[in-house]
Amino acid sequence: MASAGIDHMISLTIFMVAILVFIGFFSQTMQTGIAYERHSALSTKASDLLDGILLSPGIPDNWGQSDNKIGGFGLQDPEFNNYRLSSFSPMKLTSSTQSPVYYNGTYYGNLTAGFGGYLHAPYEKSVDYSTASEVMGINGTYGFRLSLTPTITVLIEKISTTGAPLQFSVDVAGTGFLLSNSAISYSFLLINQDGSEYPSYAIVSGTTTTDSSGSIELPAFSAVDGESQAYALIVYSYLNGLKGVGYYVHVPPSLTKTVVPLIDSFQNRSILIAHEDSVGEPPMPPSSSELNYNTSFIILTEDYTLRQVQLDQPTAFGQIVYGSGSGQDNASINVPDNDGILIVTFKDTSSQYGLVLMPWGLGSMAFPVTFGGDPAGQDWVTTDIRQVTVGGISYQAKLELWNIQGYSRVVK
Amino acid sequence: MIRTVEVLFVILILGGAFIATSYFTVLPPPREVSPINLGRLSFTTLQMLDSSYDLSKAAFETDNSVTANSSWGGVQVALAASLPPNVIYNLTVYDVNDGEGEIYDYVHSISNAQSLGIASDASTYAVASSNVTFNVTPEKIGEGSNGGTLYILNCSDANGWWITGYTAQSLAQDLYNLLSPYFVNTVMVQNKNQLAQILNGSSLRGETLQNAVLINTFGEAVPIPTSYANQYSSDYARYPYLLGQKTRTYNWTWASIVGYPLYYVSNTGYFTGANDHNGWGIFGMKQIAGSGINAFLQGLDSQIYQNNPAGVTSSVGVVTFTTQTIGYCNYYGVYPASYQTSTRALSNALQQSYHLTIAFNIFNPVGNYNPGAIYNHVVAGSGNITGSLLALGLTRTPDVRVTGLGLLSYYHPRIYPSEYTAKGTSRIVVLQLGLAGGS
Repeated sequence: MASAGIDHMISLTIFMVAILVFIGFFSQTMQTGIAYERHSALSTKASDLLDGILLSPGIPDNWGQSDNKIGGFGLQDPEFNNYRLSSFSPMKLTSSTQSPVYYNGTYYGNLTAGFGGYLHAPYEKSVDYSTASEVMGINGTYGFRLSLTPTITVLIEKISTTGAPLQFSVDVAGTGFLLSNSAISYSFLLINQDGSEYPSYAIVSGTTTTDSSGSIELPAFSAVDGESQAYALIVYSYLNGLKGVGYYVHVPPSLTKTVVPLIDSFQNRSILIAHEDSVGEPPMPPSSSELNYNTSFIILTEDYTLRQVQLDQPTAFGQIVYGSGSGQDNASINVPDNDGILIVTFKDTSSQYGLVLMPWGLGSMAFPVTFGGDPAGQDWVTTDIRQVTVGGISYQAKLELWNIQGYSRVVK
Repeated sequence: MIRTVEVLFVILILGGAFIATSYFTVLPPPREVSPINLGRLSFTTLQMLDSSYDLSKAAFETDNSVTANSSWGGVQVALAASLPPNVIYNLTVYDVNDGEGEIYDYVHSISNAQSLGIASDASTYAVASSNVTFNVTPEKIGEGSNGGTLYILNCSDANGWWITGYTAQSLAQDLYNLLSPYFVNTVMVQNKNQLAQILNGSSLRGETLQNAVLINTFGEAVPIPTSYANQYSSDYARYPYLLGQKTRTYNWTWASIVGYPLYYVSNTGYFTGANDHNGWGIFGMKQIAGSGINAFLQGLDSQIYQNNPAGVTSSVGVVTFTTQTIGYCNYYGVYPASYQTSTRALSNALQQSYHLTIAFNIFNPVGNYNPGAIYNHVVAGSGNITGSLLALGLTRTPDVRVTGLGLLSYYHPRIYPSEYTAKGTSRIVVLQLGLAGGS
């Protein structure tokens, strides 16, 4: 009788232990399955969200050209359909990767694709991550990061060593492969250093084709000193629907001051041309500095040449002064409602010349933008990609999405 | 002891169950759990490749060799450049077959891998040959019902006013070209006798009078047949009264293309006196001023005639299309300027006085005035439409496309695109994408 009781106790103990062990085994499998299911749902959500952003112009549909708050987040060009994005709406996205600049009580975003080209949009008139999350209805549930990256990289390199002639090489590549045999259209902007009070520039254009390795050496500019003169080169590359743009800006090393274009209003298309020393927090200590500037606007034509648009307004050229009681340290100009490139040429009192470029419309100079939160440290980040165009330039839109409601990571 | 053995059996069973479950519960690798949506990536890639119609050009290329300078060579380079490095592709073109057998015929294919890896997806994209023109077939207004006649006043024996720079005949021809595809019958009324004939209830060539549309291309003037000029010589405003009555009788839509409707009556054979001009050097007409539209509306509303010269319009300045009108611009492919200037917008007060309702606003109203609209006359208490008026109170000179657009917007006939799948005109491009690498 006693042995039966012992047998009963031992068997019951073994049975309970075995049950607990197997519950552990099964629950681990189930947890893994549930986690996979959630990740799969997250992937579907990412795809839906990305399409929602790219196939809707947002509310109001012209928010990219307005200073008002948004009611809905979307980047599609309101005048077109499919994956064709507005040139202006992405300009209003607060970059999550670049530090802002400060000017006159306002912080500005700081987008660039290299020296000499800047896009500074005021934070107070831009769209930030939390606002976008809120209007998309994912605030508190999902985090995201949206990247718009040009599909085509047009890399321009100065290959002449010193003095004249000036020569460039151009390398064109896509995200997956180099772009061999692609058409190239280039425009060389050379400042006329002729002593004019407000410096102008001349445009030299040409076309060529990349070789099988996606490279080409442009014809030399024989009368241009590559070091002492100020110039810019804008290169468009296109092949079978893929279009890219790159730029190169050079100013003499002796030039110590520059101008900074800052967007004042998207709605009025007004740009502040500010003196470099007045930008920053705090600004440079006052020491009088004058810059004579001249502004113009260029748009890209259908044959990939640049057409100059005169800015017929009193402030299109003038002088900005920093550190003096009488002069203004900025000037305000208005640009047309086309997307294009604002070109500001300038010179200082010692006749040192320079120029800066500012895209009006993100695609005009193929600026990349990264918008949203930081996926680093998140449990599981899912990614989706679409091919889009911004102002006719090919981009890849990538959305990284993660869940911030705190479910457990995959247990393997 | 036996219970312990039994428990061991239970453990064996549970272990077997766990092993069996683990065997059948095959969880996918992480890259398959949360993949890139290759279908959408494929579709957007095809759209991009065809953004300048280069993909369409390559799909119809007779030379399918993939060389550096060939169309397919360009497609291959662009595909490889635009896709992420770990994505492999297979692009295939099929011809659309409208005959017996297979629906699609294989044409050409390019790929950068022998297989498409562990996961793949595809999308299709239809491309059209560049040397094919697609036509549309419009639905006929009045088709299958009693109506569908468009009368365009093209009388050679009358003069127009506020059509400066044009003649009524040239405007009539433009309207004919624009609108005749949408009507069962389009009749050019060539002279005043023909106008008198239809006013007397006789068709000109067997067309249906009932529910017809009459467009007066003479601007602020209206041709008056000699018989009516004689009959109404003491008060020419009685003629628009008659027009209103006929509009009501036959349920016509009377269209005034510009300015003040029915402001003059014109007959170059009848008004031949030295004073028979409009005061601006155009002879062969008599001014009846505001009495014209008031008389027309009296006739339309079956009111007793009373010569009423009171003004019913206002100059409201720049006016804009309604959103519905803009939508119809796109639908019918007619694009007059959406901003126009209106100096003869009709007052809202007319609606109550003459039992009118606005059937379609071509322009956005300005205050109490309508720069351009189609009015229905609705008999009080019945709900039946008995005549309509299209009044465009725009300043000279007229853009007859606005008249055409107004009528199309009101009747909104459908347009049917031609077949897209005719052999040789369309091809299907299938882009299949896969992720490189094993599981």
